[in-house]
Amino acid sequence: MTVASKIEPLVYKSIPPSRYSWFARIVKLSPQLLLTLLIIPVLAGLVFVLLPAFGWAPALDQTQLSFDGFIAISNTPGITHMIALSMFSGLVSTFIAFLITIMILAVFFTSSWLHTIERLLSPILVIPHAAAAIAVGFLIAPSGMISRLISPWLSQWEMAPNGIFPYDPYGISIIIGLTLKELPFLLLMALGVLAQPELGKKLRSQHKVALNLGYCPLTAFFKVVLPSLYPLMRLPILAVLAYASASVEMPLILGPNTPATLAVTIMQWFNDVDLNLRIQASAGAILQLIITCILLLIWLGGEKLCHVFFRDSLTNGVRDHGGAFWQKITVVITTFVISFILLSLVGLILWSFAGFWRFPNALPEQFVLLHYTQALMQMGDALFNTVFIGISATFLAIAITLLCLEAEQLDNKPLSRITSLIIYLPLLVPSIAFLFGLVWLQQLIAHQAAFFSVVFSHLLFVLPYVFLSLASSYRRLDPRFSQVAASLGAPPSKVFFQIKLPQLFAPILIAAALGLAISFGQYLPTLLASGGRVSTITTEAVALANGASRRTSAVYAIIQMVLPFIGFIIAWVLPKYFFKSARA
Amino acid sequence: MQSSLQIKNLQLFRQKEELLSLNEHVNGGDILTIMGPSGSGKSSLLNWLIGTLPTGFSARGEVFLNNNNISELPAHLRHIGVLYQDPLLFSHLSVAGNIAFAMPKGNKKLRLEKIDNALAQIGLAGMANRHPDNLSGGQQARVALLRMLLSEPKAILLDEPFSKLDAQLREDTRELVFSQIRTYKLPAIMVTHDNSDAHAANGKLVTLKTAV
Repeated sequence: MTVASKIEPLVYKSIPPSRYSWFARIVKLSPQLLLTLLIIPVLAGLVFVLLPAFGWAPALDQTQLSFDGFIAISNTPGITHMIALSMFSGLVSTFIAFLITIMILAVFFTSSWLHTIERLLSPILVIPHAAAAIAVGFLIAPSGMISRLISPWLSQWEMAPNGIFPYDPYGISIIIGLTLKELPFLLLMALGVLAQPELGKKLRSQHKVALNLGYCPLTAFFKVVLPSLYPLMRLPILAVLAYASASVEMPLILGPNTPATLAVTIMQWFNDVDLNLRIQASAGAILQLIITCILLLIWLGGEKLCHVFFRDSLTNGVRDHGGAFWQKITVVITTFVISFILLSLVGLILWSFAGFWRFPNALPEQFVLLHYTQALMQMGDALFNTVFIGISATFLAIAITLLCLEAEQLDNKPLSRITSLIIYLPLLVPSIAFLFGLVWLQQLIAHQAAFFSVVFSHLLFVLPYVFLSLASSYRRLDPRFSQVAASLGAPPSKVFFQIKLPQLFAPILIAAALGLAISFGQYLPTLLASGGRVSTITTEAVALANGASRRTSAVYAIIQMVLPFIGFIIAWVLPKYFFKSARA
Repeated sequence: MQSSLQIKNLQLFRQKEELLSLNEHVNGGDILTIMGPSGSGKSSLLNWLIGTLPTGFSARGEVFLNNNNISELPAHLRHIGVLYQDPLLFSHLSVAGNIAFAMPKGNKKLRLEKIDNALAQIGLAGMANRHPDNLSGGQQARVALLRMLLSEPKAILLDEPFSKLDAQLREDTRELVFSQIRTYKLPAIMVTHDNSDAHAANGKLVTLKTAV
């Protein structure tokens, strides 16, 4: 009798509907609730962007079907440049992040360094995009850390030079920022796949077989592991690409202004005092959607090409494709990426404490706390909003996720493929395309409830991550514990609350910390859903990044980073005191 | 009235293929032993009895506990206690917490007294507040037994319950479990690979064949 045959999901015998407990009823309804919560806002948002895009906007006395919005866009100076900038920065940053991820995996696949790299990079995941952009901006600016470190002994610069970074017209700064944020995400997603007990073990032993057959480690990875691994990384990659092509914070803080990327321009149109620009903005949102789709298709097409191109080389018997050389290159790149990140964080911290700091000194002349005391006095409201909205959205997300996962076990069948795909809908549809429509809609229905709108819009983005983070632990619970509890007479609700939830205490807290981090970092949803009336640390940080003093900006970026870390520290500490298992 | 567990005209299927068919009557205090190679359907039989038959399996037939048909009842209303080869103690609860989880509701003080007494009877006096993971394998097995018995089951299933214990411990634990079954006059079904288990059970032996 194998162990596997015993680890079958727990099934309760089918009970006639009249005997469902309140608990079973709620649980069974939860997947529908989840779908409603995700599909309706995204679809309604899209509809309410489509209608104005084609000229239907009763609020502006426009009810004639027209293409005025699109015509206005095509007449916008520099529109092709904007589109090119969006596509270029999105595609290149995703591609580089993907490439480095794969190289790191290939080179360190069997090495203990993989976990060191994972530990070094994973904190980046929870740093909000705005804070990361601010930190990167400081690093590459003409008077930033890099140029200070090479001046004047190498560069001969006595004064800050006239550099093109950030805000360079080619979007290189954007690409650097996006790549650094996407790389940890893709790497952790891939490691998550490899951490699946069955699959990870299989892939590792297959890799070993290839090594025994004389393949060099790198080639073994590309020919044996990658073909099985890639399909499981596809969804995160596409989500990254969709996000990168339509992101707002990075281009806003690091990108050029003349012209900006398409997404940034659309946002400016939407926020313009001239409401008639909203028609144009809606058309722009549709254009953005099309561009994102094109990028996704380009990526999928590239996949096909790679497949055709490399299919034969998988079995051509070549066992070493310059492995040693690429190994060295990867070590250099990895070191470079990690030092780049560390350096930008150091720069950020230095700026937040800096008094007078003359170029090209690598350290400030004086350290002061002034910027913190000033900023902390101003940010009371924003801080409260950030935490309150974050906790509300995360609590809802955790509750819905747990109920859905329980529904899966209660019904003894996994969520349908459609449902699992739709959970990731808000990550795949560019938020700029449906959030505006959602705002129109919310202004029609409940224009007073700015707080509620913000919580709700955050939920859309928190839910997928919380689900992603909790699902594997929930599904991996040994079902025999539930069976034992049931055989001891515990009804499903008791099993859920007294057995499963305590056993999942640590993963639930981690998911909650992740949810909080995602909520803390939301810029566009906060700005749009509240109509600019609710400010959070992130909206303040983005507003300050353009213009205000570098020191204040640094303080806001650091607070942005500290908040999610507090969440993770709590998630790490609490399980040591509650529901602890002696083994853990 | 004597308690009994009765399996009537059971046919178990994996997909469409028949795994086993069974007709058995177990009286209180008796232990029916089921042996058979892997894949012969022993686990599925137990899963069917406790009401957790996985998808892909189906069954025809009925199970009567004390002459009540429980075939359609959900798992937690069947009052069938199970001992697995792993003790499966809940790590987030203490030893006493594990047992209290299983006991019917009641006066808190009385419940605690009962737990202490029961622990003392099986040689675990003073262990109530210990963490289950810190107990030895044999101690864990005894706590699991106690947890099951204090849930006041009306029948007991044993799923290779001693296979992870070493020889001496195995004999002692087995003796303890069997004596409890006889004391409480509960009908029991044991699945095992081990001939000495079957011998010690001293009851009817059914050997399943591999499904073709």
